[in-house]
Amino acid sequence: MAAPGLAGLFAVYKPAGVAWSRVREALETRLLRELNAAPQRAPRQQVRFLPRPAPEGGGAVELVAASVPVLADHPLVRGPRFRKLKIGAGHRLDVKASGVFVLGIGHGNKLLTDLYNCHLTKVYTVGGLFGKATDDFSDTGNLIEKTTFDHITREKLERILAVIQGTNQKALLMYSNIDMKTQEAYELAVKGLIRPMGKSPPIITAIRCLQFALPEFQLEIHCLHETQQYLRKVVHEIGLELKSSAVCTQVRRTRDGVFTVDDALPRTQWNLQSIQEAIRNCQLKVQTELEKTLAAHEENSPLHQLDGTQLSMLCRSLREQHNTAESCQRGDGQQKERG
Amino acid sequence: RIKGQQLPPRKRLLAPSRGQRGLSAETGLPLTRSFGYCPSQPRHRCASQGCLYLGCFVKPDSGWKKPRRIQPTPYRLETEDKISSAACGYGFTLLASNTRDITKVWGMGLNKDSQLGFQRSRRDQTKAYEYVLEPSPIPLPLEKPQQTRVLQVSCGRAHSLVLTDSEGVFTMGNNSYGQCGRKVVEDEIYSGSHLIHQLKEFDSRVVQVVCGQDHSLFRTKKGSVYACGWGADGQTGLGHYDITSVPTKLQGDIAGVNIIQVSSYGDCCLAVSDEGDVFGWGNSEYLQLASVTETTQVNVPRHLPFKIGKVKEAACGGTGNIVLTEEGNVFVWGYGILGKGPNLTETAEPEMIPPSLFGCSDFSPDTRVAHVRCGLSQFAALTNRGELFVWGKNLRGCLGTGRMEDQYFPWRVTVPGEVVDVACGVDHMVSMVRSFT
Repeated sequence: MAAPGLAGLFAVYKPAGVAWSRVREALETRLLRELNAAPQRAPRQQVRFLPRPAPEGGGAVELVAASVPVLADHPLVRGPRFRKLKIGAGHRLDVKASGVFVLGIGHGNKLLTDLYNCHLTKVYTVGGLFGKATDDFSDTGNLIEKTTFDHITREKLERILAVIQGTNQKALLMYSNIDMKTQEAYELAVKGLIRPMGKSPPIITAIRCLQFALPEFQLEIHCLHETQQYLRKVVHEIGLELKSSAVCTQVRRTRDGVFTVDDALPRTQWNLQSIQEAIRNCQLKVQTELEKTLAAHEENSPLHQLDGTQLSMLCRSLREQHNTAESCQRGDGQQKERG
Repeated sequence: RIKGQQLPPRKRLLAPSRGQRGLSAETGLPLTRSFGYCPSQPRHRCASQGCLYLGCFVKPDSGWKKPRRIQPTPYRLETEDKISSAACGYGFTLLASNTRDITKVWGMGLNKDSQLGFQRSRRDQTKAYEYVLEPSPIPLPLEKPQQTRVLQVSCGRAHSLVLTDSEGVFTMGNNSYGQCGRKVVEDEIYSGSHLIHQLKEFDSRVVQVVCGQDHSLFRTKKGSVYACGWGADGQTGLGHYDITSVPTKLQGDIAGVNIIQVSSYGDCCLAVSDEGDVFGWGNSEYLQLASVTETTQVNVPRHLPFKIGKVKEAACGGTGNIVLTEEGNVFVWGYGILGKGPNLTETAEPEMIPPSLFGCSDFSPDTRVAHVRCGLSQFAALTNRGELFVWGKNLRGCLGTGRMEDQYFPWRVTVPGEVVDVACGVDHMVSMVRSFT
């Protein structure tokens, strides 16, 4: 079955303790249930000549014309109208992490790849606990070591964070594949727009301490190309640098590119109407960000290698998604008839 | 040949030394406490990068490591004492500690003009080493060696100055232009010379010594500046272009002004007054002083009327100059790689380097540049977070970035600690680093 007019990107708040694929399946099931529950079009009518016993009696049968619904259109014969929805997931979150999780429906899946190629930073709130070291760097793993932490002060932690930020800033410039000798590299460095636009190891662009109450502490980390396990490892390494040990208690993504916690739908709002509204609200942000990044990194991105026709096709597809989302907004609540 | 000196074994910083063990009540796991590093006294050490060929410094454990010609990233130098002052000259380095022990100054590198004093050769007791490959103590003829402290050292092309707190300034090395402050002796042989001259006659105590390429500047507590040495570019600032062999007070625009800092490395000199004004004299072939005069040599200190705010610190290089204002802004002018991309190669008026290049952003708005330093064609800036940013020509890897290309805008150097001070030379740099915890 073709798309029901539901297409675009939206964000969902993934709770901790569930795998991302479960979230995606739960959303798909819910949407399918709501779409199939909507009133369907009336079945086609056809004229059939139905036999009726003759009023004269005596076994004679006469044919009477009647308009009856076509049996092939009966819901029990056709089955549910929508059986699958194409929902794609953006940057994944592992089981223990929670936070903003971007999903795309229908044509929005193409925007997912474009957003991935923009290489925007993600913001995490990471909670840590001094004094323990476990094998998988989180507080639910097997305990390996316990250490003292009374010598740790906020000042020492901030110094370590400054070092981490500095070394990652170097990595940022190195992996962005810009020739350092050009004036353009200088100008991008001044504006802070230098970013790796290809594959790179995880890079932390900014890190700072939000709360510090021994033995707990909370950090805000802006990063690129990371995994949540890498962030837990960073917490562990901070513990080692401070001559103690630390485990990570919480990893929460508060921003993924342009989607923030305010845009993310909580579990109570995982229904068709909220999702359509969310798609509508975010589409403008997504479009401006894509255009800005594609324009700024024209020379470096592989888009530069595309010739004119391919580039115009990409722009047209972007516009089409915009139009589809608009028409979806107009047809709110109505089911479009598509062959 | 390396002297057979045993150095203390390198201590590993990151692995906690297993200290006392106690059983923790909850899980029965032993509780580890890392001690051995007193938290209130972070360790100080020296790191250097650049040309190794002439032995400006050498790895202490080079007995088993393959000797390298170039060190493109910072390498740690092990010294017994805490180094408080370092200076890089043209092919040699001086390190000084302000202890009361007998040995206060170490030197390494070129010693062809005895700029590191007399380094007695082990093979022949009468001859001296021409190259010193390890930080070796420099014997100073102090009257009270166990009370005097060395405050600062400075190195020029082939001479060095050592400033003490109570015994004046000691000079050694080449004196063909009178830069050591003593009369020029014709056909003097400087190699293997025992002569270390002591200078005491100034109007008040000397608080800063600076070496230019072939001249020396002394700043006294009263705020006056004395100079001696070569003057063909007017770098002595005494109103003539001859050599001076006795330190003489400078007049001109700085007469009566309380100078709080002087700087020089090539043939141009800058001085900063307590009110934030900048004065310059010396070579101006690279537009260093072109804001006040068209002539290429200025032999009298002139006030440089820049409208950039109150200046806190200035540093002079071979062809470019850099100043730091009270607000923490960095301005550069002159010729060469100035730090604003490859397009800006020369300017007579100071241009500001955007603070975002030094790590100042919305995330950390209090990051500010605290000190600026200059080598012959490199610049270094230290921020208040203990980060070191370098830019300029990368001769033989002296910038410490790990690459051999020139750096056209400020680039952060990864140093395992907080950088407290840095000294830049022609093709190497030395930084004094404090460990984090």
